[in-house]
Amino acid sequence: MIRLEDIHKRYRSPVLRGIDLHVPAGCIYALIGPGASGKSVLLKVVAGLVRPERGKVYVDGEELGELDDLGLASVRRKIGMLFQNYALFDMTVFENIAFPLRRLYDLPDTEVRERVAERLARVALPGTEDRDPSRMSGGQKKRIGVARATVARPPIVLYDEPTAGLDPVTSQKIYDLIRDEQRAQGTTVMVISSDVSGVLSIADRVGMLHEGELVFDGTAEEARDSTIPAVRQFVHGLVEGPL
Amino acid sequence: MSATPSSARPLLAIPRRIGLVVIALADQLGGAGMLLGQVLVRLRPRRIDRYELFRNLHRMGVRSLPIIAATAAFTGGIMVIQAAPFVEKYNAKNFVGWAATFTTFRELGPLLIALIFNGRVGANNTAELGTMKVTDQVDALRALAIDPVGYLVVPRVIAMVVMMVALCVIGDAVALGGAVLTADLLLDVDPRIFLSSALERLDTWDFLVGLIKSLLFGLMIALMSCYYGLATRGGAPGVGRAVNASVVASAAGVFVADYLSTFVLE
Repeated sequence: MIRLEDIHKRYRSPVLRGIDLHVPAGCIYALIGPGASGKSVLLKVVAGLVRPERGKVYVDGEELGELDDLGLASVRRKIGMLFQNYALFDMTVFENIAFPLRRLYDLPDTEVRERVAERLARVALPGTEDRDPSRMSGGQKKRIGVARATVARPPIVLYDEPTAGLDPVTSQKIYDLIRDEQRAQGTTVMVISSDVSGVLSIADRVGMLHEGELVFDGTAEEARDSTIPAVRQFVHGLVEGPL
Repeated sequence: MSATPSSARPLLAIPRRIGLVVIALADQLGGAGMLLGQVLVRLRPRRIDRYELFRNLHRMGVRSLPIIAATAAFTGGIMVIQAAPFVEKYNAKNFVGWAATFTTFRELGPLLIALIFNGRVGANNTAELGTMKVTDQVDALRALAIDPVGYLVVPRVIAMVVMMVALCVIGDAVALGGAVLTADLLLDVDPRIFLSSALERLDTWDFLVGLIKSLLFGLMIALMSCYYGLATRGGAPGVGRAVNASVVASAAGVFVADYLSTFVLE
C-alpha cells in the first residue's frame, strides 16, 4: 500500500537518509524515534506534502514523483491525515468535519449531516456539531481531527503524534479509537509517536528512525526484544545508551 | 579554509551585505510575482469560492468602512486647512473647492486609504494566513486535496482589490463632505461655491486616476500580505515577523506604485 525506496531529504542538514520502508495494506505501522529524527517529515513525504530530493514514494501503486498537481490531489483523496497540533480550521466542529465532504464530493446536505453525526458518535463527541473547537480540550480536538481525517473514508490514514500533550488515560482512548477505526474500515494506518508503550499496544509493525535512518523495522514484539542499542534504549526508556 | 586575506575581509563585508539584501529582495519580489501568476491562472469564475469571496468582501471591506470614512473626512478637512492661508491672502475662495478635491481625489485619498487598509486588512490577512501556516492548517488543506492558493489566496486578492476601489469611491465622497464642512466653518466658503469650484475644474479623469491607483494599491497589499502570510515560518514569533515585514513591504510597494502610476497617468 505504501512503499518508500531510498528516500533522502535535507533542509539545512540531512533529515532523511536512504529510507526504505513498506507498509502492507490493512496494517497499523508505528513509526517511533526520538525528537527531530525525521518522523514528521517522513509522514509528510508519504502524504505528498514534502518532495524528497532522492528516492521514490509509492502510494497505492502510484509513484508520487511522477504525478502532476492533479494526480497528486487524486492520491491525497485516498489519504486522511491527523496533524500533531490538530490543524483544525476556524470553523465549528460540524464545518470542520464536513469540510472535505463539501469541498471534494457532491453529496446531498442530508448525507453530509448524517456522516458527520456518525463520525462524532464514533469519536465519542455526539451533539458537539455547533461548538467552537478552539474552546475544547486537547483530547477533544484530537478526536475531531480523527473524525475529519476519516469522514471521507480514505483507505490510508496518517496520524502525526496523536497523543502528544494528552494525559495517559486520554492517550489510551485515542489509541483504542485508532485501532477500532482501523478494524472497522480496514484502512492502512501509519502512526508516528514518541509514546512508545501506547503506540506499540496497537501496532502490527514498528519502524524506528534515528538521525534520519531507519534503524529498525519489525513487529511490536521484535521491537520490545530488540538488541539494537538505540532501539532497546528508546523502547524501554533507558537513560544509558546511544540516544 | 578561506582564501581571502584577513585584511580584505572588512572591505568585502559591505558588498556581501548589499548582495544579501539584493538576493532577499529578489526572493521576495519573485515569490510575490509567482503568487500573482498562480492567482491569475486560477481566475476563472466557476472556480472561485463564492462563500469565501463574500465572507472576505464583508470582513475586509464593510468592517473597514468606519475607519476609512474617518480618515477620508479628516483628509478633506486637512486639505482645506492647508489651503486656508493662501485662500485668505489672495482671496481665492473660488479655487478652494478645486484645490482640495483635486489633491484628495488624485493623490491623498487613495494613498491614505491604502495605508489605513494596509494596517487594518493587510496586517490581519498576513497574521491569519501565517497562523494557518505555522499550525499546519495550510498543509491540512493540501492533505485534503484542496488547493490553498485557490481556496485561501484568490478570494482574498479579489476581495481586497474590489474593496480598496469601493472604499476609495466612498472615501472620496466623505472627503468631499469633510472639505465642504471645513471650508464653510473655517473660511466661510459657501458649500455651493465650493462644489461649483470643484465640479467646474475637476475632470472625470482626476477621479478615475484615484480609482486606478487604488486598484493598484489594493493588488499590492493583497499580494504582499498573502505572500508573507504563506511564507511564515517559526511559530508565533514568526507570525509577528511576517506581519511586520508584510506591512512594511506593502507600504513601500504602495509608494513605488504611486510614484510610477503618477508618471503614467499624468
